[in-house]
Amino acid sequence: MKIDCVCTSWYASVRTLRPDSLMEANNDVALDIIITNVVSVFRTRCHLNLRTIALEGSNVIYKPEVGKVLMKLRKPRITASIWSSGKIICTGATSEEEAKLGARRLARCLQKLGFKVKFTAFKVVNVLAVCTMPFHIHLIQFTKNNRPIASYEPELHPAASYRIKNLKATVQVFSTGSITVTGPNVRHVAMAVEQIYPLLFECKSTMR
Amino acid sequence: MQSKAVEGFMKGPINPNNFVLQLPANYAQTLHKPTASIVIPAGQTLQNFTTKANGSGALATFSLPPGVSYPVQIPAGVTLQTSSGHLYKVNVPVMVTQAPASNRILPQPIQHVMEPREQVAPQGAVASVAPSAVLQTIPPPAADTYTPAAPSTTLLHPSEPQPVPHQQHLFLGQGGALQPPGALQPQLTLPAVPQPPPLPTPAPVTPDSPGDDEFTLDGIEFSPQPLDMSQPSPFAAQLSSGQACGGQLGAGREEVGQDGGGSLPVNAGEAKAQLVEPAKLEMDLMRDFNYNDLEALQQLDGACDSTSEEEAEEEEVEGGAGADEDEFLGMINAEALKALQEAEGSSEDDGSSSDSDALDDAVEEVEEDPLNSGDDVSEQDVPDLFDTDNVVVCQYDKIHRSKNRWKFYLKDGVMCFGGKDYVFSKAVGEAEW
Repeated sequence: MKIDCVCTSWYASVRTLRPDSLMEANNDVALDIIITNVVSVFRTRCHLNLRTIALEGSNVIYKPEVGKVLMKLRKPRITASIWSSGKIICTGATSEEEAKLGARRLARCLQKLGFKVKFTAFKVVNVLAVCTMPFHIHLIQFTKNNRPIASYEPELHPAASYRIKNLKATVQVFSTGSITVTGPNVRHVAMAVEQIYPLLFECKSTMR
Repeated sequence: MQSKAVEGFMKGPINPNNFVLQLPANYAQTLHKPTASIVIPAGQTLQNFTTKANGSGALATFSLPPGVSYPVQIPAGVTLQTSSGHLYKVNVPVMVTQAPASNRILPQPIQHVMEPREQVAPQGAVASVAPSAVLQTIPPPAADTYTPAAPSTTLLHPSEPQPVPHQQHLFLGQGGALQPPGALQPQLTLPAVPQPPPLPTPAPVTPDSPGDDEFTLDGIEFSPQPLDMSQPSPFAAQLSSGQACGGQLGAGREEVGQDGGGSLPVNAGEAKAQLVEPAKLEMDLMRDFNYNDLEALQQLDGACDSTSEEEAEEEEVEGGAGADEDEFLGMINAEALKALQEAEGSSEDDGSSSDSDALDDAVEEVEEDPLNSGDDVSEQDVPDLFDTDNVVVCQYDKIHRSKNRWKFYLKDGVMCFGGKDYVFSKAVGEAEW
């Protein structure tokens, strides 16, 4: 079974961990992990005058009540929250490389505005990906099988949440077979999908 | 909201009567040289103070004659007391002037200046007047770092006559140009001023620094004060802008300064010594001399950011344009304190912008990935130009955005579109970004 990450060139392969899995003869089921959001932060190491950015920058939204400026970029479609302390949070990228490129473009924009920015401490802090299983999932059975790690409260949220502690990743499992994975980086996200697939496969209810 | 420290100061001409000179006990001994050269405009009373000081063993107190108009030269070691009661201790010869509001000067590292506080016994809140120069002799090999600590006595009493082989010569920083601490390096080679021989001051513990503080103001010359040089003055290099020429002192003077020496009479406009408010001085005392007071003073928005030291050093080394000129070692204009704080935010940005332009290619970053000026970080492909004649001038009820869909609910406006004007009381618009 292979897992593809759409929108990234990253490619990972997964082998079923259990030889007696109930998989059909066809072992090549492609699972597309689609990265929808990459959140990153970096610091400019210099104080930024938000008012100057708001007045002279392009594609900016000034939020004085919060104390930040949102700057949107088109090319890597990202939105950055800029604080006067020089900390910038960059959201909306679809890959880690894109996040870094967008962050650098943003720093370049600030540099053009006249600030002595330095591109330091860039770090991807969160990656959100979605994946669709080719089967539906029986959530109650899934929760029972993974009692302490999985939690399911249908009155609160229609998905069962499964936290993988060592990966620091959270997987939300929906009965339709779709799952969302959030983790600190893309690699952890992929590993989380690999890890959870067999567990989901056990509790599949119907084939799509 | 004016600081209490300056409550005695008025916008108009300062009444010289507000100042009371208090001279230390042994001030007379140090005065023989400077006395001769002290010229206080219209201050015939003051010219007699030497004799007065000689007579009294204790602190001598003088009042500035009523006719004294600014600027007033005050030799080192005196304590000024304003009518409001604030005490200002003069460690180096200063020129007290009435600075224009636009002239903003900041006390630069003053911590060492505050040391000799104990010299003046009765003062509670003594703020040392931080003039441009603290005269110090610094032995060349050892003068790499500025150590603000210095025996307090040294500042007050002129250092004993040390056989100073090298003549070092500190420039008074005045009014205009303020050198950042980074420019202190040239201090090492400053030409020294020969110390007057009969100075009974204890030998300075720290490396000597030339005690010659001499500056020329409007032709008024100040003979070198035998100030203690024991502590390297962080001001030293910074003073280069307002330079006192050591010409009259003697030969062998290597003049160091940013401008590269030469006896330059201080420009009248620049040579202004301001009284520093005590509160500010005390605060600055605690700081590292490398600390950029300008930036520490005020941040208009956001939390205090940690400007990297590399940045500060770069600015210092460059002698950067905007921000550096506004920094002045020692003196802050009492009247313009508020104006300084307000303008500081803008000057920071101006300084940063000018610095960024200047340093664009030279020193981008010291950190991981230097932002090459356009190398891999390409600019936005579509530069937005608002060179349009179609404008809408109006008021808004609500501006709403969802992802990249914008909705505008406007009112009471005029739209100029295609050369025609349209007036509306309500307008609704949608746009996609």
